[in-house]
Amino acid sequence: MTDVQLTLFALLLAFVIFAALAAAFLRDILSAIIAFAGFSFGIALVYVLLRAPDVALTEAAVGAGVTTVLFLLTIVRTVRPGGDRLFERIKWGPAAVATALVGVLLTTVRSLPRIGDPNSAVATSEVTRYYLENAYPQTDVENVVTAVLAAYRGFDTLGEAAVVLAAGIAVLVVLRKEVYV
Amino acid sequence: MIDLLTTHYNYIASILLVGIGLYVVMGSPNLVRKVIGMNIFQVGIFLFFVTTGYVDGGVPPIVGHSEGPIVSPLPHVLILTAIVVGVSLTAVALALIVRIYNGYGSLDEDVIKEVQVDD
Repeated sequence: MTDVQLTLFALLLAFVIFAALAAAFLRDILSAIIAFAGFSFGIALVYVLLRAPDVALTEAAVGAGVTTVLFLLTIVRTVRPGGDRLFERIKWGPAAVATALVGVLLTTVRSLPRIGDPNSAVATSEVTRYYLENAYPQTDVENVVTAVLAAYRGFDTLGEAAVVLAAGIAVLVVLRKEVYV
Repeated sequence: MIDLLTTHYNYIASILLVGIGLYVVMGSPNLVRKVIGMNIFQVGIFLFFVTTGYVDGGVPPIVGHSEGPIVSPLPHVLILTAIVVGVSLTAVALALIVRIYNGYGSLDEDVIKEVQVDD
């Protein structure tokens, strides 16, 4: 890991956490949604640095795009609580619970392999090795992620499509637009 | 602890995101913001998974175009599916919120509870 890359990671992660805090505490809900869109875009850039272009594209299109549009449609159809002040007040009960969870999880970080360790369990896994060696000869697809998604785990992707279909029908039914079903 | 920041930074960030998400889901009275919190929580877990696949000096999992160790495609595939399922979940949750608003005239959890008691 070079210093340049480490600096990039540090800047992006700082931005992402700052945007998440803004989405959590800005009183105006429209500001919170915009902060959330920035958060999604920042996390997409982190995925680029982690060499996951497919995940980054999906996150930028779906996380920063579609999700934001859904949130905006919701506040158009409901209400946008205005603010006399800029930030929400901190609620100490939930803050204590969240801090306790973060504290417990942080104790486990030390036992994880360091980031980029070529000997980590995931990098040396038999499954990883199999896909990298056989995806191109068996499927003729250069992008291993696409090969796994569409070929090896094709039924899983079909199930995913079924989930999206079910969600679409559920939205129409909940909003009493059954004429379209 | 400082050395962990330089070797495990993404894991620490993902834990912080999970914490922020949990706080918003529990602490915010506004239903729309609760869904934002749920999304932040999810992204924390996604970041954790994608980070586990990274290899030093790695190249994206596209074979035959560049030299070097290839990062593991396995977490990427799992998270791609999870992102799409997550947005479906968000869509249904927001549709329910619109219906709740039509029924109660408010998105504030405390106001909705009061209306329920009055009924």
